[in-house]
Amino acid sequence: MKSFPLKIVTPDGLQFDGEAEELVVRTVDGDMGVMAGHINCVTALGMGRALIVSGGKRREAACIGGMLSVLEGSVTLVPTTFEWAETIDVRRAAAAEARARKALEEKARLSKMEQKIAEAHLKRSLVRQNVAAGSGRHN
Amino acid sequence: MAGVSTKEIKTRIRSMESTKQITKAMEMVAASKLRHAQAKIAHSRPYFQLLYGVIQDIARLNTEQKLPYLQPVQNSEDRIAYVVIAGDRGLAGGYNSNILKMVYQDMAGKDVDVLPIGKKAADFFHLRGVPLLNEQYTNAEDVSVSDCFTMAKALCKAFKAGKYSEIRLGYSNFVSALSQTPATMELLPLSALDNDPTDEGEGILYEPGRRVVFEAIIPEYLGGVIYGALCESRASEQAARRSAMDTATQNAEEMIADLSLKFNQARQAAITQEITEIVAGT
Repeated sequence: MKSFPLKIVTPDGLQFDGEAEELVVRTVDGDMGVMAGHINCVTALGMGRALIVSGGKRREAACIGGMLSVLEGSVTLVPTTFEWAETIDVRRAAAAEARARKALEEKARLSKMEQKIAEAHLKRSLVRQNVAAGSGRHN
Repeated sequence: MAGVSTKEIKTRIRSMESTKQITKAMEMVAASKLRHAQAKIAHSRPYFQLLYGVIQDIARLNTEQKLPYLQPVQNSEDRIAYVVIAGDRGLAGGYNSNILKMVYQDMAGKDVDVLPIGKKAADFFHLRGVPLLNEQYTNAEDVSVSDCFTMAKALCKAFKAGKYSEIRLGYSNFVSALSQTPATMELLPLSALDNDPTDEGEGILYEPGRRVVFEAIIPEYLGGVIYGALCESRASEQAARRSAMDTATQNAEEMIADLSLKFNQARQAAITQEITEIVAGT
């Protein structure tokens, strides 16, 4: 299968730099797949699972925020947070979920902003847990 | 001879020595933290350079309506929000006072709210009666990347709602291990990008649209900038502390040398006096 150069850059540094055959990410508009020869394109990322096929191996990650750009055949993924499924701290994510749920229970006392933050926390923790749980299935 | 007794000098030497040990230890801790902080700066730089490149491209290519964030919202309040990054602890030379004084001068005579990062920043503005946005981030050492993004999102929203006409950032620029300069910069509006758009499109597809991508990326970019500034400030703090502690250690050494000389003189004087008394046979 034809491959393309892929770079994944986060504020914590370079997460991946090499050839990949396939990339699927969750954008603000739904899932988007990239393969070699994709048109030049820039899009903003949502929260969700990212799938990378590199050297015939599937790897999954929780990928949240940021953007994806395809330029002249090379793909740059610039997420805010990017964690490979096997490095996700499930216990921390579960704790974050519990905290967010508890915060949301007292909805009435929260301002709109705080509510939104708690919802975002909840969503992120769920994405992390889902990705971490899914990694066993596919390998 | 000297009015001070040998015992008194000895106690002072001992206390200087323990001070020296403390400053020496602090210096070494700061040096190792500095190394970590420097690595973090290097890691975080490419991230927002990439985002900034895309933002620039979109602003340049945009020929339709005006993009948000490039100028203040119409009839926005004439109020400025300041994000100020300082340290949690003192004993870092001029690090805290340099940045705080500079920001305080910068905001003189304006209507401002401050979002302090670091205990020293919160205390400083609290003491001067400047309204604080919140005090969630008064522990600069614990502020994470995601905190920076939460902050950026909240600030962007307030800016879009017309609550602020400008959002500024005060931080310390890490020039080198020996030099750190305080700086303030404009976060929003991105007036540098507000120029006449050109049509030299490179045929890039923006999914689902330029405006949507632009609006989604700006808060991320700002979060990246705040995080980058935080990394720079942390490195600056450690560098400032390291050199302050280095100077303190040297001063302690000098004082110990000085006191040792005095101690030896006093001891010698006592011996001489005793011999004189024996010889004189009194």
